[in-house]
Amino acid sequence: MKNKIFRNIIRSLLILFVILIILGGSYTWWNAASPERTCASCHEISPSHTTWTASAHRDISCFKCHGTALENGWHSLSEKTRMVMRHIQNKPHPDDIRLSEAQIFETMERCISCHQTEYANWLAGGHSATYADILLDETHNTTEQLNFDCLRCHGMFYEGTIPDLVEPISQHGPWSMKDKKIADKPTMPCMTCHQIHSKGEPAQRPDYSSPNNIFYSRNMENNSLGFFIRNEKIHFDLANLPTPVILNGTDTVQTPADLVYRLCVQCHAPSVWHQAGSHDDRTPTGVHEGISCRACHEPHSNYQRNSCDKCHPGESKNCRLDVKTMNTTYFLPSSENDIHFVSCDDCHENQIR
Amino acid sequence: METSRREFLRQLSLACGSVLFIPACAGYDSPWRFFSEKEARTVIAFAGQIIPADQDAGATDANVVNFIDKQLIGPYTRFQEEYRKGISAIENSAQKLFQKAFYELDRDNQTGFMEQMEAGKLPEEFWTEVNQRSFFNLVLDHSMQGFYGSPRHGGNKNYVSYKMMRLDYPHVLGQNRYESKCATAKLMEL
Amino acid sequence: MKNKHVNAIVVGAGAGGGIVAKELAVAGLSVVLFERGGWATYDDHNDDELISQRTTVLGNAFGPDDKRHRRVVVNSDGSTRIVLPSEGSYSNNAACVGSGTVSYGAMAWRFMEKDFTMKSTYGHVEGSTLDDWPINYFDLEPYYEKAEWEIGVSGESGANPFESHREKPYPMPPFAYNHSANILADAAKRLGYSPFPIPMLRNSVRYGGRPACYRMRSCVGFACPVNAKCGTHNTVIPTALDSGNCELRTHCQVAEIMLDEKGRATGVKYFDEKDKGQIQTADIVVVSAAAVETARLLLNSKSKLFPNGAGNNNDWVGRNLQGHAYTGAHGLMNDDVYDDVGPGATLAIADFNHDNPGIVGGGVLCNEFTAMPYLFSKMRPPGAKRWGPEHKEYQRSQFKKLIRLHGPFQEIPNFEARVTVDSEVKDHWGIPVARLSGSRHPYDPTGCQYMSERAEEILKEAGAYHTWQRVGGRGLSGGQHQAGTTRMGNDPKISVTNKFGQVHEIDNLFIADGSLCVTNGGFNPALTIMALGYWVGDYIVKNWNGSKFK
Repeated sequence: MKNKIFRNIIRSLLILFVILIILGGSYTWWNAASPERTCASCHEISPSHTTWTASAHRDISCFKCHGTALENGWHSLSEKTRMVMRHIQNKPHPDDIRLSEAQIFETMERCISCHQTEYANWLAGGHSATYADILLDETHNTTEQLNFDCLRCHGMFYEGTIPDLVEPISQHGPWSMKDKKIADKPTMPCMTCHQIHSKGEPAQRPDYSSPNNIFYSRNMENNSLGFFIRNEKIHFDLANLPTPVILNGTDTVQTPADLVYRLCVQCHAPSVWHQAGSHDDRTPTGVHEGISCRACHEPHSNYQRNSCDKCHPGESKNCRLDVKTMNTTYFLPSSENDIHFVSCDDCHENQIR
Repeated sequence: METSRREFLRQLSLACGSVLFIPACAGYDSPWRFFSEKEARTVIAFAGQIIPADQDAGATDANVVNFIDKQLIGPYTRFQEEYRKGISAIENSAQKLFQKAFYELDRDNQTGFMEQMEAGKLPEEFWTEVNQRSFFNLVLDHSMQGFYGSPRHGGNKNYVSYKMMRLDYPHVLGQNRYESKCATAKLMEL
Repeated sequence: MKNKHVNAIVVGAGAGGGIVAKELAVAGLSVVLFERGGWATYDDHNDDELISQRTTVLGNAFGPDDKRHRRVVVNSDGSTRIVLPSEGSYSNNAACVGSGTVSYGAMAWRFMEKDFTMKSTYGHVEGSTLDDWPINYFDLEPYYEKAEWEIGVSGESGANPFESHREKPYPMPPFAYNHSANILADAAKRLGYSPFPIPMLRNSVRYGGRPACYRMRSCVGFACPVNAKCGTHNTVIPTALDSGNCELRTHCQVAEIMLDEKGRATGVKYFDEKDKGQIQTADIVVVSAAAVETARLLLNSKSKLFPNGAGNNNDWVGRNLQGHAYTGAHGLMNDDVYDDVGPGATLAIADFNHDNPGIVGGGVLCNEFTAMPYLFSKMRPPGAKRWGPEHKEYQRSQFKKLIRLHGPFQEIPNFEARVTVDSEVKDHWGIPVARLSGSRHPYDPTGCQYMSERAEEILKEAGAYHTWQRVGGRGLSGGQHQAGTTRMGNDPKISVTNKFGQVHEIDNLFIADGSLCVTNGGFNPALTIMALGYWVGDYIVKNWNGSKFK
């Protein structure tokens, strides 16, 4: 009798042990095996997986960015379980897979773990504004009513509408965040301008016997840049973003050839009449016409204080002028001779030919 | 070769895990939601003649078939039967006329075939359940929707049709319409 | 739980109903405002052409849905077919808070004096029910003004020489012309016509606490991303709700108006958002569900004294269904004329609304709203290929070169163009659906032809190298500009309501929407429906003494 109970206990323990081995094994295997055999073997993930294999992040495994089921306790376990359930029940099509905004923020935390300098620069610049910074701004809210289109450039990942975020929707405050959890979250996280799964440069040593293989003659591509279009809920590569026609009076402005301009102008955009400098537009005209935004603005921080030195080495030999002492926004931010549209005529009385 | 107990357990668990997972995600044979692979090929060829590729992308590059496939299990569920029967009638007609599948015909034969269908002149024997002219008009209309509509419905990949029409997407529009010196004022404080 | 009795029920939160609800609530009456849809927001479908009000192929962004709603259309050969709301012949308007005013193009027209006196101006037209309104322009003028200032209109006062007298200017300045309007304005002036900026229910400057329009391409057919388009959903309905006297019940389908044995309305039967049958009683019932649904609701409200439906003892409910026969011309220019300045329509020519030689009535001509790419794929000269390389080349090279000039011809009403209820087909709730039958009056194509010729003449003068006419006026009427099905009149035998929208014989049942219009003017009707809302609301407030009408 005793023996029987003992045998049963042993048997149960063995079964439990086997179950644990299988569960633990599955979990370990899932996170250790190559994605082709795990995540990406499910058809709805395969397009993302395909782009990832050609991206700069191809040596970083799925869970490093997307997390594992046990990494974040109950939260991650339930999240991953829901994904599996949806996979089994609805068989979603690749077209319909999206990161939620919460996942965007979680993924961003993982970006930061490697890209600390970029993060620090971004945090110090103007693009790290939080929901509270943007939506509770008194100057804005007393002059313009908050509206749906705010979310085109700020909070493009938000899964609700402006009335879910802030109250009251009127020009009379005081305003407060209705969605308190999100108040200190960034409205323009990394994924606003970056795609993580995108074609990147292969890491390789130059082959000195073939000069075209050396860095300076290679055709460099950074395809991680793209803009997240809220209306479509997808990133547009720079190549797929439009270059708007910008006018200066009736003349057509030569817009920067650098594709990054297409990204900037999405939000730093002119009025419908497309005049340079109207509304939020900063397309350079005048002496800086055609110059890339990146020529002066650092990426991430948008810092530009050392930028003149890049092209203007002190006093000009031609006219004996030092641009850094001239009355421009570089010298004086309130100057009427804004760097974006300062022209020869602004400083020289007679038109220079 | 000696293996530690820990290593043995790890390998054992990995083996068990892989056995558990390998068959889990098998069984997706067609990448389409409604069409069979063969039906999809017919629709791709058909839409590809309605909006052919030239210096700009055509229906095939824009993934118009993906649009139709997606709508057929959504708002266009009511057209499922017509598509199933219509595609089969196209295939039967092509077999009879050319002894080939419609998607294997060359461009001239495909367009010739479609002109006949548009005019209701294909052999009637295969078109007893579906009217060839109304099916032609249906696929024509759906192809236009897939090529010119929004990519969120599965077609017009990367807004290729908007690019062809020189229409910016997204519409580049500024929002800052009040005289705010706040940006400048903040810089002044630096 | 039983619903608390209220002073008034308003059925339909659109252009008419939203205004009546606000007028009554602000005057202190307790109101329940029923809407079969919900609040529509820009974020739901943003700039999606295939689910927009103009091209509803994948569904109606602003309702109703294809699952629960049906209508029956009678073909010209007498056969019938069931149509879904996303199909063109359904004659859909919208089903959401604000209804059509959320997604409309927002032209803000006052009808002209002669639009109210069509019969005395032009005489009898054979086979028609053309008649004068029981009210004239000057009766409605103060209410037009109220609509312009409370809802918000941008326009240039005095720019239209044909406009009837106005007491007060527009509250906002007009919108600037886009490129095609500039070209057409010059051409029209050379021909001796008087072009002017279209008055719009859209903020040209900040107004009513809402931003100015930033001239989005996807405007007509879409909700406004910046809330600059003025509808009842962002003006009077919020005011009504803020008064504390109005309760808005969304996702409620009203099935029937209850009438007692004395022939008075006692309330409505409706299905709530959980499809549960409910009763709401009230002293007054106002129906503003648009011409098709208003007629359907009256016809479905049968009682002892009204065995054929409320107010229908003379068989006039559902008759005279009108819309607008759109007509005009297209012209191709040598250079790009499309400048992506939304919403496209900015210029109007009202020279052809009346006094056209030998023509009864007429209509306004406007440069058309921006056509999105799918809609444009259907715009071709007669005989052009519908597919293949040529079709694609046209799409590529002509999209920015096409100017369309067209407008709504004032339809001649007829008795057989009508709404009835189908004896067999029912909707999701088991309510008999509307059945549309008859066709436009045979005169309409004649008038349309005249307008199309004028449009083509202007396009030619503007330099179009290839022009063609698009002549409307045939087939079944209705559509978004549906009107006329419960005509107002002084003679109860040939009308449904009196001049205050009060149903003859049922003094506490009112209509307040386009159904009241005797004739539909040669203009988009939204502002007139709004003015009628104020007109009816004002009458109720002034004449209701708490238990009966003075």
